[in-house]
Amino acid sequence: MCDARHAGAARAVCDANHIPGSPKDVTDRTDADLVMSAARGDVHAFAELSRRYRDGYSRFAVRMVGNRDDAEDVLQSAFIRAYRALDRCRDPARFGAWLYQIVANECRTFVIRQARRDRRLVHDELRLREAPAASTADGSDTLEDVQYALDQLDVDQREAFLMKHVEQLSYEEMAELTGDGISALKMRVKRACARLRELLEEVHDA
Amino acid sequence: MPDRHADSDDVFAERLARVLGAPERFGEEFERSLVAAIQADRPIRWKLRPRARMGTAAWWRTPATLRLSPLAGLALAAGLAMIATLGTMRVARPTPNVLTPVATVAAAPVVHDTVTLVRFVFVGQAKTVSVVGDFNQWGATPTPLEATSNGAWTASIPLANGRHEYAFIVNGTRWVPDPLAPVSSDEFDTKSSIVTVGL
Repeated sequence: MCDARHAGAARAVCDANHIPGSPKDVTDRTDADLVMSAARGDVHAFAELSRRYRDGYSRFAVRMVGNRDDAEDVLQSAFIRAYRALDRCRDPARFGAWLYQIVANECRTFVIRQARRDRRLVHDELRLREAPAASTADGSDTLEDVQYALDQLDVDQREAFLMKHVEQLSYEEMAELTGDGISALKMRVKRACARLRELLEEVHDA
Repeated sequence: MPDRHADSDDVFAERLARVLGAPERFGEEFERSLVAAIQADRPIRWKLRPRARMGTAAWWRTPATLRLSPLAGLALAAGLAMIATLGTMRVARPTPNVLTPVATVAAAPVVHDTVTLVRFVFVGQAKTVSVVGDFNQWGATPTPLEATSNGAWTASIPLANGRHEYAFIVNGTRWVPDPLAPVSSDEFDTKSSIVTVGL
């Protein structure tokens, strides 16, 4: 059985045992096709979209929020929000970029709320525990050191640095995703670099 | 040790990017969990966990202790009794077939310099009701409401002075903001309610 919606799609897989919307159905379909199915309630289509983009956005989320557990929660939240807002995805063929925008927003919101909570609850003696771990003997940067330094940046700088240098987006792409101007983004990246440099020097001098 | 001052921003950033660029992947469990959450229509809230840098410290999970003087403790007990009375009066006109959740701040149950006991009341048909908000990390430890004989659900929570956001979770899955309270929306249009204490 094959859904009539899919009959015209050359890549659709149709056979006698085929169940439309099942996991087997979705792997060869375009993003736009999957978005349209998911918007009609096909959760397997959305799961396939998630599989396509999950790994690509995991690193950004982990680096933004600072650890894997939180990043997984935030990524899940972002994907659920995306599912519920699919009818507002104006260009289904560019679903990935739209989803990235939601992931970035969700990460920003999480970081801001986390920071607010930390300001409320963290006492001086607890701040002492935040001292960076010892770096490697040769002074090279460890992931823990760099993540620590990244965590100290404000959310705008952190996001801009990661998008530019880790995700290797152009400033034009960053502007489209964030809605901010290119000159502001360049300034954020520059300030992020300067601040990271200071922080890592402190780590290595410790 | 590398001479960081000699690096241009790009070279410096490239070096960091090599470290930060290590892949991070979540397995297929991610989709299973995602599909389950979508199908259950769960509210979207993340838990705010302690930061790893704090050594996953137990301090966050340790129940907060209210610092109340003995006198304030008596006031708290008195306040609880008074609020219970006020709450009963407040739910005297329930509308059983329509969900009309109401959150009330007790009129003057002064308890302590910075803590006020706030009574949350939900009126409507439900099997379970709990309240989540910034005061319980949005559900990390949801506060259950208890059913009263009037068909209302209530819970009293000590809150610090200031603005708090909250929502009710009905039957474990449904996110219900309080229609009678000021509304807060996040950028994804998830609506929560606002209660302001002591200001």
